[in-house]
Amino acid sequence: MEHAYLGVDVGSISTKGVIIDKENNILASQYIWTQGDPIGAVKELVGLLEAQFDRERYKVVATGTTGSARKLVGTILGATMVKNEITAHAVGTTTFYPDVRTILEIGGQDSKIILVENGVAVDYAMNTLCAAGTGAFLSSQAKRLGIEVEEIGDYALRSTHPTQIAARCTVFAESDLVHKIQMGHPREDIIAGVCNAVASNYLNNVGKGKKIVSPVVFQGGVSKNKGVVAAFERALGCKVIVDPNGHLMGALGVAILAKKGSKRQEFDFAVENMEFHTREASCGKCSNHCEIICVYRGDELIDAWGNRCERGERTR
Amino acid sequence: METNNITVGLPRAMLYYRYRILWGVFFQELGVKTVVSGPTDRDILEQGSALAIDEACLSLKIYLGHVHALLGQCDYILLPRVSNFGHHRNMCTRFEAMPDLTKNVFRDTQQKFLTCNIDVLAGEDEEDAFLSLGRQLGFGPKAAKRAYKLAKKADQAQHKARVQKQEELSRREGLKILLAGHSYVVEDPYIGKVVTDYLKAAGVTPLRADLVEREHALKRSRELSPTCKWEISREILGGIDLRKGQVDGIILIGAFPCGPDAMVNELITRRVRGVPILNLVLDSQTGTAGVETRLESFIDIIRLKEGML
Repeated sequence: MEHAYLGVDVGSISTKGVIIDKENNILASQYIWTQGDPIGAVKELVGLLEAQFDRERYKVVATGTTGSARKLVGTILGATMVKNEITAHAVGTTTFYPDVRTILEIGGQDSKIILVENGVAVDYAMNTLCAAGTGAFLSSQAKRLGIEVEEIGDYALRSTHPTQIAARCTVFAESDLVHKIQMGHPREDIIAGVCNAVASNYLNNVGKGKKIVSPVVFQGGVSKNKGVVAAFERALGCKVIVDPNGHLMGALGVAILAKKGSKRQEFDFAVENMEFHTREASCGKCSNHCEIICVYRGDELIDAWGNRCERGERTR
Repeated sequence: METNNITVGLPRAMLYYRYRILWGVFFQELGVKTVVSGPTDRDILEQGSALAIDEACLSLKIYLGHVHALLGQCDYILLPRVSNFGHHRNMCTRFEAMPDLTKNVFRDTQQKFLTCNIDVLAGEDEEDAFLSLGRQLGFGPKAAKRAYKLAKKADQAQHKARVQKQEELSRREGLKILLAGHSYVVEDPYIGKVVTDYLKAAGVTPLRADLVEREHALKRSRELSPTCKWEISREILGGIDLRKGQVDGIILIGAFPCGPDAMVNELITRRVRGVPILNLVLDSQTGTAGVETRLESFIDIIRLKEGML
């Protein structure tokens, strides 16, 4: 049996999974919506991956999880590697683009920039408390303008005079946008303006003070938006690479990390048929009242976290 | 040592982290009992948030929670006003407003407060402030002066020992990360201490930018900013300039929304080159997930650079 490695990236909006072989070739991949149910999404994902995967020839010997639900999903899948999404993206991208110098990433609710030198991430920044210019902003503005979020790119590319939209803050951008609609600006110009606002917002916030050097790779859900890609190319004055598998980069990165890690644990596809549920318990042992998340497989408590001190450690 | 029946309450917040020895020894030498509020927890933060206006910084909210916890536990609660230590040596407005603001918040309680004023530009220095504390509690200038001198000595000895410890840590093998932030943020068990704990658990040695020889740090801060006027920010700037070559990364820890930090941290990220910097802004979120993701990835990036991951 040849060895294979599973990587799962569970974000706020979408859940991504890949299975790779030793040479990092993709054996199976899937992208589905999380829809506020990371456990349900990951069970569905495992089923979809299994259908594409040759179980006669390969076995999955290590599993990695990343994304905001990495801990929860890591417990459910019995992961051998649980890593934050920044490291996963850096490792994934530098594996496929060894020359990359700058990674731009805009996801559903966060955005980040990673600077790379000689194939190694040397600096990065992440949006802090503000979600300005992320995918959530684009989808809410698309709704306001009565179009599908997937159509934004085509509309934006048709515009010849993008409307100026205040980019500093989502709240200001939104009120400015409403004003411009009421003033009678054409829809494609406004949409192109929104795309420009996302790019300049990103460069002024997350990318502030960072030296952006080509080759630039752009990934995350928003990289699928041609309007934003064009806006970045205009603002940076260089080509911006969007990988067709860009949305899988986190999952690929964590699969590679799982492969490189020392732990081995054969993955059991049966999890797709197991019952998992979580319960929130408030620890009453001190006045911090920590919110502890307990994860159960059937009736069995398999993990718990959220406690600030050892008084809240789980007792089986 | 003589004792009397006065008890002074010290809120375990803000300048307590800087002056605990100075205050503690001073009152002890006068035979005045002190009571310190407990470590910050969720109750204290929630109580303080309810008492503060929305725009107040997280540290002020925590402070008011500690004052609340001391109500009725002591004869007086110490509320110093610290305005400045001289030209270009100012404290944040919060410290200038502390007695007025706090007394106003608790105006409907029976609690008595003990205040003093450090405002060198207006002719009142630290010693004057301590003599005034003594006077208000019924001690003559001689007794108060003696207590202050002993307290100052103990304070300086303790600070020197802490600086010495930093020197030792800076020579340790392995990954070292400099924490740059106000002591009441970095050391507070509910907000900033999670960062130190996380780093230690990850096998990283945390160093502190503010634990430096203060006079030297003030001078050194000029390297990064010749015009910064905030005393504590200048100590931190000096500490960063001193340590930046000895560490693998710098974490700027601030409490939201801090006025001086908003300016100074921006300045640091622009002027300090060649070492990775993470700007961590702490708010009253109950979860630590966001902080952990940022810390974990920051350490990973540094380790990747060294080829250690």
